[in-house]
Amino acid sequence: MVFNSLTFMVFFALVLALHAMPFGWTTKKVNLLIASYLFYAAWNPPFILLLWISTVVDWYAAQALVRAEKPAARRAWMLLSVVVNLGMLAYFKYGEFLLHNFSALAASVGVAYSPPEYDIVLPVGISFYTFATLSYTLDIYLRRARPAQNFLDYALFVTFFPHLVAGPIMRPTELVPQFATPRRATAHQLYFGLALMTLGLFQKVVLADGFLSDPAEIVYDAKMAPGALDAWMGTLAFSGQIFCDFAGYSTTAIGAALCLGFAMPDNFRFPYAAVGFSDFWRRWHITLSSWLRDYLYIPLGGNRHGEARTYFALMATMLLGGLWHGASWTFVVWGGLHGVYLSVERMLRTRFARWRPGPAALIALGLLTYALVNITWVFFRASSFEKAWAVLRGMFGFNTGADPILPVVHLAAVALIVGGLVATHWLMRNTTLETVLAKAPAALIAIVWGLLAFAIVVEQGTGNAFIYFQF
Amino acid sequence: MPSSISSSKHAASAERLTASDRPGVAQPVPVRPIPPQPWGAIALIALTLCLALLAAWEWRMRTLGLEAGDLDDGAAAWVEQRRLIDAGDVAVAIVGDSRILFDTDPDRFQALTGVRPVQLALPGTNARPFLEELAADSDFRGLVIVGISERSYFRDDIGLMAGALDLYRYESPSQRSGYVLHRLLERRFAFLDDAYRLSTLVHRLDPDLRPKAHSPLWDVWKIRSGSDGRHSWVWARLENDARLRDHARDVWLRPAPGRPMVPVTADLVARTQAITRKAVAAIRARGGDVVFVRPPSTPQLRAIEDRRIARKVGWDPLLIAAGVRGIHFEDYPAMRDLDLPEWSHLSRRCATVFTDAYTREIARSSALLALRNDAPAPLGPNDCRAQPVADARTGSR
Repeated sequence: MVFNSLTFMVFFALVLALHAMPFGWTTKKVNLLIASYLFYAAWNPPFILLLWISTVVDWYAAQALVRAEKPAARRAWMLLSVVVNLGMLAYFKYGEFLLHNFSALAASVGVAYSPPEYDIVLPVGISFYTFATLSYTLDIYLRRARPAQNFLDYALFVTFFPHLVAGPIMRPTELVPQFATPRRATAHQLYFGLALMTLGLFQKVVLADGFLSDPAEIVYDAKMAPGALDAWMGTLAFSGQIFCDFAGYSTTAIGAALCLGFAMPDNFRFPYAAVGFSDFWRRWHITLSSWLRDYLYIPLGGNRHGEARTYFALMATMLLGGLWHGASWTFVVWGGLHGVYLSVERMLRTRFARWRPGPAALIALGLLTYALVNITWVFFRASSFEKAWAVLRGMFGFNTGADPILPVVHLAAVALIVGGLVATHWLMRNTTLETVLAKAPAALIAIVWGLLAFAIVVEQGTGNAFIYFQF
Repeated sequence: MPSSISSSKHAASAERLTASDRPGVAQPVPVRPIPPQPWGAIALIALTLCLALLAAWEWRMRTLGLEAGDLDDGAAAWVEQRRLIDAGDVAVAIVGDSRILFDTDPDRFQALTGVRPVQLALPGTNARPFLEELAADSDFRGLVIVGISERSYFRDDIGLMAGALDLYRYESPSQRSGYVLHRLLERRFAFLDDAYRLSTLVHRLDPDLRPKAHSPLWDVWKIRSGSDGRHSWVWARLENDARLRDHARDVWLRPAPGRPMVPVTADLVARTQAITRKAVAAIRARGGDVVFVRPPSTPQLRAIEDRRIARKVGWDPLLIAAGVRGIHFEDYPAMRDLDLPEWSHLSRRCATVFTDAYTREIARSSALLALRNDAPAPLGPNDCRAQPVADARTGSR
């Protein structure tokens, strides 16, 4: 089920009530585990089997890994976990993509191959829980973590519903220890958790779905090429939509966990105030970027084996990171562009190592970063390269004479919301929400909270799925 | 073990570290400080404010003519009806677009025949794929009433509600429970209306200053009210409010965005006839039957519809090609001169009159439907003449 649904509200109220009952800690954990399976089964019950396979394989692989004495045996158990998890991901997410590309490749060398119909439904959240379970065996293989004390704690780590389908991607060392001792939210944690959930749902239901998805869709689904204003506003709308959608999900997830007494890590840190792309990736989807860094970039050599190897590792990581988002070459190009940006930035930082930008230069570089990030969003949002080029041509002023696409009300909404979003990110780039709330008048917090909740209800969200569910 | 949720005294500390600050190491249990605030009082005030605003909003929506119990339509409601066919013998199913949806009074239909039709018509949607879908369902052996308008039937795409069939093929447990919960709330709160979402109301403020860009000002506003079983009718306020009526008329007269009103090609007509003929044959082969119905529209709209495809090119040859009986409102005095407040759909009372007339015609010609012995007396246009009502709400949205 999605957070922005009536079903989730009822479900969450029941889970909270159950968690507050005077049961033993093990019983409460079993309740949470069952609730998490119900949460997942609400989409498609048979896909629970995949969760179980991933859970059981990694549990036994990790146990065997610990018992194995020879490096080759340890490596074999680690590889078993990687192959099973990535195999499921490849089959469900990339099977059709691989077949079509194989077919195209065969055709290019004169071999006619028509792939069979590949009518496979993508299990929701498979990319997220695959990475979470992989981090369990990989951390144990890398001797960063000890295995969970019992299967229940481990299964709950994999399945815990706040992070299950769209992150934040949890590491075992972040969550498993929290299951060791009884947890129940204090009144303040419960209220603050509910406030975070309200903020997250406001971002998703009102801003992303209510006001930003339409202008992005109108431009990106239009049959005609957009002019400069429409192309930029459609892309800016998407930049706001995807942030509000995904950060909204993360904030809601963090709030839901907090209501139950658990802590989850930050996933976003005001990314549109980033100066440079390494800064951007320290602020955007932090749990994915750090996962890719720890389990892909560093094992590929990271920056420890010379410049050429560093750039190779950087590009490979970002290209695969792009592919993680979706089985399409447009996502690979999106990742590749970020890889190029990061590489160029690295070169410039080496070349101008002593230069320290002043405040004006900092803002200018920040805006340049945001503009270049928007260029990458074109490939992320466009359904095809043809569409992406049409929008990019528009953004660079080559679609002269194009008819207007977006009405004034959408232009105004995008300017207001995205402008406000970027300004807020700049105001808060060196702080946290909690720090700001600690200083704010209580009455103001109450009024804003009440208004956000009111807006969510009267927007009557249609229960649209979060964008990242498809990844 | 480190504490994952620090006490409030740490809340004012500067930026906390994240995984991005700790490369290549085991990530510790996260820290989530709770800002030192009187959260109980804050929550109480926020809740009170939210409820007060909602009460005011509900009151305002009721003054605009929204009513609790006016049930939204959509794919989930359609699926619920479609499943009735899967559940057992259904004698009559209606497919089509908004005209046959709004212009059919199932209570009247049932009073006349003892049969309550399953309403499968969808606004802005081509009936043809749904007729084909019923033809492919070997369990269906009943009568299909296909309500068509020239705008919707003679085209290749499904239209607005293409997702209904997808949802019918797979509806997740959470989608179904969400629908049930929403229905419960809709019966109690008037403000829960798809046409009166916050963003929809804001979008309607568009000044329409960019020529050629489709303005939400010219989207279809609320025209429908409904109850259980997808019984739908023209919203009462539309019958009384000149401004809303004029707006709806303007919308119908404008070409749909991205879909200019171009004449239907001969190829499309032939394709439509072939698909229809095949579907009708499949249903008849199982003992079922198909009847086409063309609900009324005003001369202003007829002129546009005729430019797209005239009756002698579309309707008449379609009936011959498919070998089906058709009931065109122009051919029956009881179906003409009815009140169409926004030119495209009948007023609620005239929908009852129209239903009465077309149901009697079908019963006269089809072996699958008969009038009850105690059926009420026939209705005529005089039973639903428009009564002038003061436009008390003119100008409000």
